[in-house]
Amino acid sequence: MKKEKKSTPKQTPVEPTPVATAIPAANAQAALVKGSPAAPKKKRKVVSLDKKKARAGWYFILPFVIGLILIYLPIIYDSIKLSFNEIIPVRGGGFTLSFVGFENYNEALFKDPNFYTTLTDGLLQLFIDIPAIVIFSLFMAVMLNQKMIGRAAFRAIFFVPVILSTGLMAEIDAANILQQNMESTEDMSGAQVENSGTQIVSAMEVSALFETMKVGTGLVTTVTNLVNDVYNIINRSGVQLLIFLAGLQSISPHIYEACSIDGATTWETFWKITFPMISPMILVNTVYTVIDSFTGTTNSVMNFIQDAYENGSKTVSSAMAWVYFLIVIVVVAIVSAILSAYIFYQRRD
Amino acid sequence: MNATENVKIKKETKNKIRVEFERTSAWTRFRLKYLSLRFLGTVVFKLFRLVLLLGVSYVILFPFISKIASSFMDPLDFVDSTVKLIPKNPTLNTYKQIIIENKYFEALFNTTILSLLCGIIQTFICCVVGYGFGKYKFRGHKLMFALMLFTMIVPHQTLQLSMFMKFKYFDIFGLFGLLGMESIDLTNTYWPMAILSLTGLAFKNGLYIYMMRQFFRGVPDSLEESAYIDGSGTFRTFIKIILPLSVPMMITVFLFAFSWQWTDSFYTGLFFTGRNSLLLSKIVAIPRTLDTTYAGGNLFAAAIRNTCGLLIIAPLIVIYLFCQRYLIQGIERSGITGE
Repeated sequence: MKKEKKSTPKQTPVEPTPVATAIPAANAQAALVKGSPAAPKKKRKVVSLDKKKARAGWYFILPFVIGLILIYLPIIYDSIKLSFNEIIPVRGGGFTLSFVGFENYNEALFKDPNFYTTLTDGLLQLFIDIPAIVIFSLFMAVMLNQKMIGRAAFRAIFFVPVILSTGLMAEIDAANILQQNMESTEDMSGAQVENSGTQIVSAMEVSALFETMKVGTGLVTTVTNLVNDVYNIINRSGVQLLIFLAGLQSISPHIYEACSIDGATTWETFWKITFPMISPMILVNTVYTVIDSFTGTTNSVMNFIQDAYENGSKTVSSAMAWVYFLIVIVVVAIVSAILSAYIFYQRRD
Repeated sequence: MNATENVKIKKETKNKIRVEFERTSAWTRFRLKYLSLRFLGTVVFKLFRLVLLLGVSYVILFPFISKIASSFMDPLDFVDSTVKLIPKNPTLNTYKQIIIENKYFEALFNTTILSLLCGIIQTFICCVVGYGFGKYKFRGHKLMFALMLFTMIVPHQTLQLSMFMKFKYFDIFGLFGLLGMESIDLTNTYWPMAILSLTGLAFKNGLYIYMMRQFFRGVPDSLEESAYIDGSGTFRTFIKIILPLSVPMMITVFLFAFSWQWTDSFYTGLFFTGRNSLLLSKIVAIPRTLDTTYAGGNLFAAAIRNTCGLLIIAPLIVIYLFCQRYLIQGIERSGITGE
């Protein structure tokens, strides 16, 4: 309907446009001659619908484009420039920059005794955490998607961390855990009122349970660390849980109905239907988790860079941040490349 | 087969029939229904699910419970090993001192203004930009979208120095210098946050734009087309048709933007360096009158910090209680997919 309606007034100006484009290609002078009589004849430029729509699209994203060009890209440029320079303060306020090449990077990677170890430790920790977060949030999303009594209440509780345990609270909590560790060495266990998760779990003595199973100490420590970290993992999987829930809701119930008629069990339904249908969301969530945990306030490398910014050289911290950013980009690229090979897209429309 | 043989159909009146059949005995029905392996499996699964959900809920809620409990405790309770969750000498002194000495209400007021400002601007801007990305295909839209994702991936810490410089000596491409004006110092004002929000570059705005985009991709084109046919322009269509439609999603985004701005400490720490602009992120400190050095001091200090945290998020808890329904509905309706 729309196209027919719009194309009728368009028909008349359609003819001059190809002429106008063809002529300057052939001869620039002819275009000048052609341009002058055309201008006074019609003041209103007639634009095709596609172009109009394209222009409207630019109008809508204009705030972002302006910010990108005027603020973001200069900031990026400055930041990269800073990482190759040294700040020399000038008396009477202000500073000058002197170019030092890769000296800052050299300093960050090879001279700073702690950055390299923090980086590798942080990365290793993330490779354990990220699958745990994604699997946990998928599992919980499947649970919360089922019909049961008190579902609304459980959902409300599960999204508490998304809203309440970010930023400041996360920082306070991080300090808390330190506090707790300090206290436990001082043997004041009776008065520990702070943080929770670790307490319950250590009471279960997971490691003792696993050590009798003879599965190798590496696995045991990994599992124990994961279980001890459960509070952290739950806290960080809120947004992922929301995204998975949204994905689960968008799977058509007809498919499940067909499955149950054909006699599939819940287990089979999950692996044959739910899992493939939700696989795009697994990609989104994995990438989101990677970005979120690499750049979050509780990340150890981020804190290290923050410390270096506040207490050490600002340019070296800038260099550290760029090294870290490059690693993040590489990890995101690898993860999405691997995952997208296994993703099932349901063809829509 | 057996059942059909036993069925007797009797014509009672003209329009009524009566079906008589032998009912399976109550015991058989009970046995088939409840004493099967399938039922057992369901029960076990439901129990497992309940226990799991309760357990995880406990893990989530317990820190808050313990924080609330410890916030009412007297310093004496921290050295008493018999006190765990219920204070022996309940006191409101901690709250009182924090509110008075850390100037809680002043910080609350400032943060409310800042968060409302940022929340509203970000919601609107992300809605507009998300609409542009979701509904329009124009040359370069893929590049712009990639750049949008790029802004999400670059850690803020990477940019903090240059971002600080940018707003400390605010100047657009040296334009002010050409006009003979000094660069403006925008730190310690709300301007840096407002500018970042207006341009969709503030904290996690990439995520909001992405959510809005996915939402608008799910809105059928025919809605706008019918508006166009009725003679409405692009922007009028957006304001009259699309905006009212996206209110649930906007509430979700607003909730995120507001509460993440509320608890943010990175940007506020970066841009508000002076003493005159007190924000909630700066009140996490131990009031002087409560500073003790005796045995339970460390724990008490931790409890005070936690109480500060509780006071900071108290307004958010109230908002969350009222808005959590929208949060979940908005996300569910958005139909976020990974395409």
